[in-house]
Amino acid sequence: MKKVNIKYSFFLLLLVIMGSCKKDFLQQNPYSSLGFDVAIIDEASLQTALNGAYASLRNTNLYGRTIPVIQDLMADNIYVSTKNSGRYLPQWNYQVTLTDGSAAGIWASGYNTILRTNLMFEKGASITGTKVSQYLGEAYAIRALVYFELVKHFAKSYTDDPASLGVPIVTTYNPSLKPARNTVAEVYTQIINDLDAAISKLSATNKSTAFSLAAAKGLKAKILFYKGDYTGARDLAKDVIDNGGYSLVTSAAYNAYWSNPNSRTDKVETLFEVSADPLNNNNFDALARIYTQAGYGDMLCTNELYNLYSATDIRRSVIIDGVRAGTTTQAYIINKYTNSEIGKSNDDDTKVLRLSEVYLIYAESAARTSQEANARIYLNNFLLRRDPTFVGYSSTGSQLIEDIITERRKELAFEGNRWADLNRLKRDITRNTTQYPSTASSLPYTDFKRILPIPQAELDANKNMAKNPGY
Amino acid sequence: MRKLASITFVLLMCSMHLFAQERTVTGTVTDEKDGSPLQGVSVTVKGTNTGTTTGTDGAFRLSVPAGSKSLVFSFVNYESIEMTIGNKTSFKVSLTTTEKSLQEVVVVAYGTQKKSDQTGSLTTLKTKDIENIPFTSVDKGLQGKVAGLQSVATTGAPGSGQTVILRGVGSINASTAPLYVIDGVPINSGDLTRLSITSNALAGLNPNDVESVTVLKDAASTSIYGSRAANGVILITTRKGRSGKTRLRFDTEMGFSNVAFFNQSAHPVNNAGMRELLVEGLMNRYGYTQAQAGTVSDANFYTASGVDTDWLGLVLRQGKQTQHNISIEGGNDKTTFFLSGGYFNQEGVVITSDFKRYNGSINATHKINDKMKIAFRMPASFTRIENPNAGGAFRNPVLSAYFNLPGKNPYNADGTVKITGEFAPGSGIFNPLAVAQYSYRNGRTVQARPSVDYSYNIIKGLNFTSRYGIDYNMLEENQFDSKKHGDGAGTNGRAFAYDTRYFNWTFSNFLDYSKTWFKSGDLTTSAKLGYEAQKSSGYFVSVWSQDFPPTDVLTLPSVAGTPRLASADRSDYTFNSVFSSLRLNYQNRFVVDGSFRRDGSSRFGVNNRYGNFWSVGGTWNVDKEAFLQKISWISQAKLRASYGVNGNAGIGNYIAQGTYGFGANYDQLNGSFPSNPGNPNLTWELNKPMNIGVDLGLFKNRLNLTVDLYKRITTDLLLNEPLSQTTGFTSILRNVGSMENKGIEVTVVAVPVKFKNFQWDVNFNIAFNENKITKLADGQNEIINGVYIYRVGKNFSSFYTRSWAGVDPANGDPLWYKDSKKNSTTNNYNTAERDIVGQSNPKFFGGLSNTFSYKGFSLDAELYYSYGSMLRDSWAFYYQGDGGGAGFGKLKSQLTRWKKPGDIAPNPKNIYGGNLSSSAFSSRFLYDGSYMRLRNLQLSYNFPSEVIKKLKMSNLNFYVRGTNLFTWVKDKNLTFDPEQGLGNTTNLDVYIPKTMTLGVNVTF
Repeated sequence: MKKVNIKYSFFLLLLVIMGSCKKDFLQQNPYSSLGFDVAIIDEASLQTALNGAYASLRNTNLYGRTIPVIQDLMADNIYVSTKNSGRYLPQWNYQVTLTDGSAAGIWASGYNTILRTNLMFEKGASITGTKVSQYLGEAYAIRALVYFELVKHFAKSYTDDPASLGVPIVTTYNPSLKPARNTVAEVYTQIINDLDAAISKLSATNKSTAFSLAAAKGLKAKILFYKGDYTGARDLAKDVIDNGGYSLVTSAAYNAYWSNPNSRTDKVETLFEVSADPLNNNNFDALARIYTQAGYGDMLCTNELYNLYSATDIRRSVIIDGVRAGTTTQAYIINKYTNSEIGKSNDDDTKVLRLSEVYLIYAESAARTSQEANARIYLNNFLLRRDPTFVGYSSTGSQLIEDIITERRKELAFEGNRWADLNRLKRDITRNTTQYPSTASSLPYTDFKRILPIPQAELDANKNMAKNPGY
Repeated sequence: MRKLASITFVLLMCSMHLFAQERTVTGTVTDEKDGSPLQGVSVTVKGTNTGTTTGTDGAFRLSVPAGSKSLVFSFVNYESIEMTIGNKTSFKVSLTTTEKSLQEVVVVAYGTQKKSDQTGSLTTLKTKDIENIPFTSVDKGLQGKVAGLQSVATTGAPGSGQTVILRGVGSINASTAPLYVIDGVPINSGDLTRLSITSNALAGLNPNDVESVTVLKDAASTSIYGSRAANGVILITTRKGRSGKTRLRFDTEMGFSNVAFFNQSAHPVNNAGMRELLVEGLMNRYGYTQAQAGTVSDANFYTASGVDTDWLGLVLRQGKQTQHNISIEGGNDKTTFFLSGGYFNQEGVVITSDFKRYNGSINATHKINDKMKIAFRMPASFTRIENPNAGGAFRNPVLSAYFNLPGKNPYNADGTVKITGEFAPGSGIFNPLAVAQYSYRNGRTVQARPSVDYSYNIIKGLNFTSRYGIDYNMLEENQFDSKKHGDGAGTNGRAFAYDTRYFNWTFSNFLDYSKTWFKSGDLTTSAKLGYEAQKSSGYFVSVWSQDFPPTDVLTLPSVAGTPRLASADRSDYTFNSVFSSLRLNYQNRFVVDGSFRRDGSSRFGVNNRYGNFWSVGGTWNVDKEAFLQKISWISQAKLRASYGVNGNAGIGNYIAQGTYGFGANYDQLNGSFPSNPGNPNLTWELNKPMNIGVDLGLFKNRLNLTVDLYKRITTDLLLNEPLSQTTGFTSILRNVGSMENKGIEVTVVAVPVKFKNFQWDVNFNIAFNENKITKLADGQNEIINGVYIYRVGKNFSSFYTRSWAGVDPANGDPLWYKDSKKNSTTNNYNTAERDIVGQSNPKFFGGLSNTFSYKGFSLDAELYYSYGSMLRDSWAFYYQGDGGGAGFGKLKSQLTRWKKPGDIAPNPKNIYGGNLSSSAFSSRFLYDGSYMRLRNLQLSYNFPSEVIKKLKMSNLNFYVRGTNLFTWVKDKNLTFDPEQGLGNTTNLDVYIPKTMTLGVNVTF
C-alpha cells in the first residue's frame, strides 16, 4: 500500500509540475522577425531599417518599374506593342479605373515606404552614434522623394492649383489612422521640410545608391522646379553643379554608363539611383525586362521621340531600330536598360536623379528667370557631352525654354519624368494614332485622367478620403 | 512474480482443503466469430477464488467445489459470460468480442462512453467502413458516410488533400478543418509540403490500421477540446491487438483507375475543328476571304501540319492501384499486441501523379498488475508523392492538354519527344511529354506517431491516465526543371530542395472518477479533470539554384552553378490547457453532463491569450421509461440536447505579433521592414453550437433513426479588416465578423429484409445546411473576394458575377442581363451589373448505401449525392474564348456557335481575338454542380467456415470493387468533374479517378 502511495504521489507530482508549466511556454517568438519594440534599438539596427526603406523604393510598384514606365507611357515617349504581356495597358489606352493596379501599387508601396522611414524617426530619436545623423538624413530624403511621387501621381500640379487636394501627410505609425487629404501646398511644404532636415544631417558621401548631401540638394532643386519656384530651383541647382563635385558623363562613356549595372562612387553623373543587385532584384519584373526583347519587351519607343534625336546624338544609340520579338514588325527597341538575365545578372539600378537633369533644371529655371545667357551656356555645355558635333542652341525667349523642354524629354526619356513635366507645364498630350489607340490620341490638360485615381481600396477603407474627380 | 506464486499457493491450498467435496469439469472456449480456440481465458467459479485459464487449444479442466452454482468465463476484449453448472461436466463455450458491442461503447474525447450516456451528436465508423479502401487517406473514405460531414476532393492526384467540413463552414480567414486526434494526440493535419501542389498529412496513416473513427459534431462532444473544437473533432483510434490465438491476416488488392467523369463535349477540338474556328474567326475579324484566312491560320496555328494530336489522350493514362497489408495480433490477458505492415501504390490518371506508402505499426498493451496498465503505439510510414502543377502553370500537363494546339506535334520523326520547332524555348505552352521526361518534382515524407498511455487505478472508480504522444513529420522535396525544356529552359536548368520538419508533442494527464451512489445504484457520476500541454515546432530549409552543367543525370541543387536561395526558418505554436467534465446519470433515464476547458495559445495576442470553453448536455433515454417499455416495437428512444462554446484557433502562428521582418536587403546589406501590423487583442473565433437530437430504434432495432437539429453561431470571426493604406499596411486581422450555420441531419439505418441466409441493410443519411454571414467589420456590408462575395445575410460561398443572357440571334453578340431584374440585356460586359448567382457549397448532401448479403455473398452499393451548388469553370476564358485566346486549343463545344442571323446558338459569333469579352467570367461559366456518384460498388464472397477450416484459415474473402464507377450530373454542359473542392472551381487538376479493384483477405 505504501509503495502504491509513493507511485501515486509521484504521478500527482508530475501532474503538478506540468500544471505549472513555465509561463513563457505560451510566449513563442517568431524566428525570422523581431517585435516592433526591439527592431530598431541602436545605430546598426537603424542602418538595417534604412536599407529596408531603400529596398522599398526598388519595389516594382515604385522605381522598380511602374514609375519610370507609366510616366513615359501615359505621355508620348513609349507605347505598348500589339504583341504584349498585358501590362500597363490602361496607361496606354487611357482606361485607368479606380481599381487600376499601377495606381494602387504606387499608393500602397509609397505609403509602406513612408512607414519604414516614420518608424526610423520614431525610434531613432533616442539612438546615439556617429552615423545616426547620416542615416536619419537619408531617411528624410527618402520620405521626401516618396511624397513627391505620391503628390505628382495623385494630385494636380502645384503650378496649377496648390490649394487643391494632395495626399495625406502621415508621419507616425498608427494602424487605425484614417486621414483626410492635405493640400498640394501642404505636401510640398512637408517635402521641403524633410529635405531641409536631410540637408542639415547629410554629409558629402559619394555612393550613388544612397542619398548624399548633393543628392538631397539636387532633389530639393527638382522639387522647387516642379513647384514653379524657378529662382529657388536655379540657385540650388547651380550650387549642386558648382559645389557637388559631380561630373557629367561624356558621350564616349555614355554607353558604358548605361550598361553598367553597378552602383558607383566616382561621382560621375548619378546623384541618386535605386540599387538592384544579383541577389536583390525584381527578377522577371525587372525594369529592363519590360523593354528588352529578351524579356517582355512590351514597351517600345515612339516614332516622334526617336526622330527628335540626330544621327550623331549618342542618346540615339540606346534606341535600336529593330524588330519586335516574335513578330516581323519594325520597332524602336529601347536599350537603355540592358541587364536583365533572370537570376544571373546584376540588374540595372533605376536612376532617380542625374547631374544632367540638374543642368536641365538649371537651364530651364535660368531661362525662366531672365538669365538666358547662363541658361544657354549650361545647356550647350551639357549637350556637348551628348552630341560632340552639335553646335549649340542660340535661341531665346520662349523658343529657348521650348528647346530646353525638348532636350529634357530627350535626355530623361524612359526614366519617368515626361508625364509630370507635361503636367507641370499644363500642356495637352498629343500622341500619334498608329502606336496609340485613336481613342487615346490626345488628353487635354483639363481632363480628369491627368492624375491617377485614389485607389478604390483606400476609398473603401478610409471614409475621410476624397476621391479624385471623374473616376 | 511473487504475487503470482502466492496466488498459486493459495489456490493450491484451497483445492487441497476442498478436495473431498469437489468434482471436475472440463470444456473448451472458442471465439464465437470463427470458432477458433481462445487461449488464456480465465474460468472461475462464481463467488470464489477457484479458477484456471484455458490452454493453447482453448481447453480447460477445473475442479469445482460441490454446491458451486456457476462458472464465469472472462477474457480481455471479450464479453464475460456466466454458465450454470448444474449437472454438466463438460462445457462448450464461445465468447463474443466486445467489438460488436462497441456500438454501445464509443470512443469520445479523452476516453470512451456508453451510448446511453451520450448527450451530444457524434458518429462512429468501424474498421469495415474504412479498411481496404482504394483511397490514400482516411478522410477521403468519410465521404457520404457521416451525416453533416462534407468531404470533398479538389483534385484526383493520389495522396492529395481532402477538404472536410462539419456542419458548414464557420470561418472566412481561419481554418475550416476539423481537429484530428489520433489515439488521443492532436496532430498537424492538412498539407505540410511546400513544393508539392497538394498533399495530406493523413495519407501517412494506413486506413487498415484504423479501428474506429469518431466524428464529434456538437458542443457536448467537442467543447472539451476548447479553442480548436469549432470545426468539429475527428478522433481516429488505431487498432489494438486482441488476446487469444495469434492471428495472421493478409489483405491484398489490385486494380486500375481511369477518369471518373468526362463530358465529351468538353474534349479539346481536333485540328480540323480548330481550323474551322480559326478561319471563321479571322474572316469575322479582318474581313478576309476564306482562302486568305486559311493561309493565315495554317501559317500561324499549325492547322495544315497534317498532325492531329489528342493532347488530352497523351497526358491521361490508366493508373495502377495496388495495396498489400499484413497484420499479426494476439496476446493473453496481460499483454496484447498488434503488428502491421502495408504497401500502397496509386498512380493518378494524369501523368506524373503518383503516391506510394510503406507503413508499419506496433501497438502493444500490457497490464503491469491489477492497477497499472501501459499501452504503446507506434504507427510509422514512408510516403512518396508526385503531382503536377494545377491551374495556369505551364508545367501543368492538363493545361498543356487543353491549351496546346492539336496541330502541334509532340514527337520528332525519330519518336523522341519534341523540344524544338513549335516547342522551342519561348514558344509558350510546353510539351507535357517533354516536361514529364526531363523534369520532375516529388516529395518524400517520413511520419511517425509514437505515443504511450499509462493508466493507474488509484482506488476503485478513480483512474489516472498519463499520455505522451508525438506527431512527427519529416519531408524532403525536390524539384528539377531541365534546361532542355520548360520552366528550367530560361535559367539553364534549375533545382529546388526543400526540407520540412514538424515535431509536435502533446502531454496529457487526467483523472477519471466514477462512482455509483445509493444502494440502489440509481445515480452514477463520472468526472474528469486533466491538464494538457502541446508544442509543435516546424523547421524549414529551402535551397534553390540554377545553371546546370551539360548532363541529364545530375539534378540536385549542389551541381548547379548559381545559388538563388539558401534559407532556414522555424515556426512554433503552443497550447496549454486544463479540462474537466462531469456527468450525472440517473437510472440510465436521465443524463446530464458538462465540460469545461481553459485554453491558452501562443498564437493569440498577449491581451487575449486565455479563453474558457464549456458545454452542457442532457439526455432522456425515453425507452427506459415504463410507459415505453410496454410498446414492444420501440426498442430505443432517446432525446438529446446540448449547448456550449468553443473556439477556432486555426490561424498563423505569429500573426498577433507586430513584427519587423528581414530580407528587404539593399546594396547587398541587410534590410528590415515592418512586416506585420500585429494585434495584441487577437484571439480565437467563438463558436456557439446548439444541438437537439433524437435517436429511435424500432422493431428490435431493425429500423434506427437519428435526427439532429443544430444551429451554430460563430462570432469574433477573424477578418482581414482593410486599413487605410496610408498607415503603411493594407489590412489587419481582427476579431470582428459573425456567421451562422443551421441545419438538420438525418440518418436511417435499417434492415428491411432479414432471413436466415439473406439480409438487406440500408444506411441513408442526408444533411441540410444553411449558412449566412451575419456581420462583417464595422460599417461593412460586403467584401468582394474575387468571384465570391461575403455579404451580410448571404451564404459565404456566394458567386458574384454578371448574368449571362445568351447570344443575340441577330448578330451573334454575347449578351448579359443589365441587372438582377433580368428584363433588359446588354452586349457591354462592363455595364452589366454583378449580382449573387448561386453558391459554391451544396444545399444538401449525403449518402445511401445498400448491402445485400446472401450466405457468403455480399453486394454493397454506396451512393454519394450533393445538391444545390454551382460550379465555376475558371479557365473557360481560354478554351471557350469564341475566338479569344486564339493561339490556344478550344473545346469541341465551341463548334456549336452563331454563324448567321437567326441562329440560336449557345456560343457567340467566333471572332479572332474575342467577341466583346464574351468569355470573361459570368454565369455562362457557372454550372449546376449537383451530382450523384456511385462511390462504391462491391461484390464479395466469404468462404464458408467448413472450407476455410480445411484450409487452416479462419477467414477467406474475395471481392471485386468499383469506386466512383458512375457519376450522374444534373448539368449536361458541365465541363469537368462535379467535385471541385470547397470553392467548387475547376483548376485543370488531375482528374478524380474511378477505380476497379480485385482483392483478397485471408486470416489464419
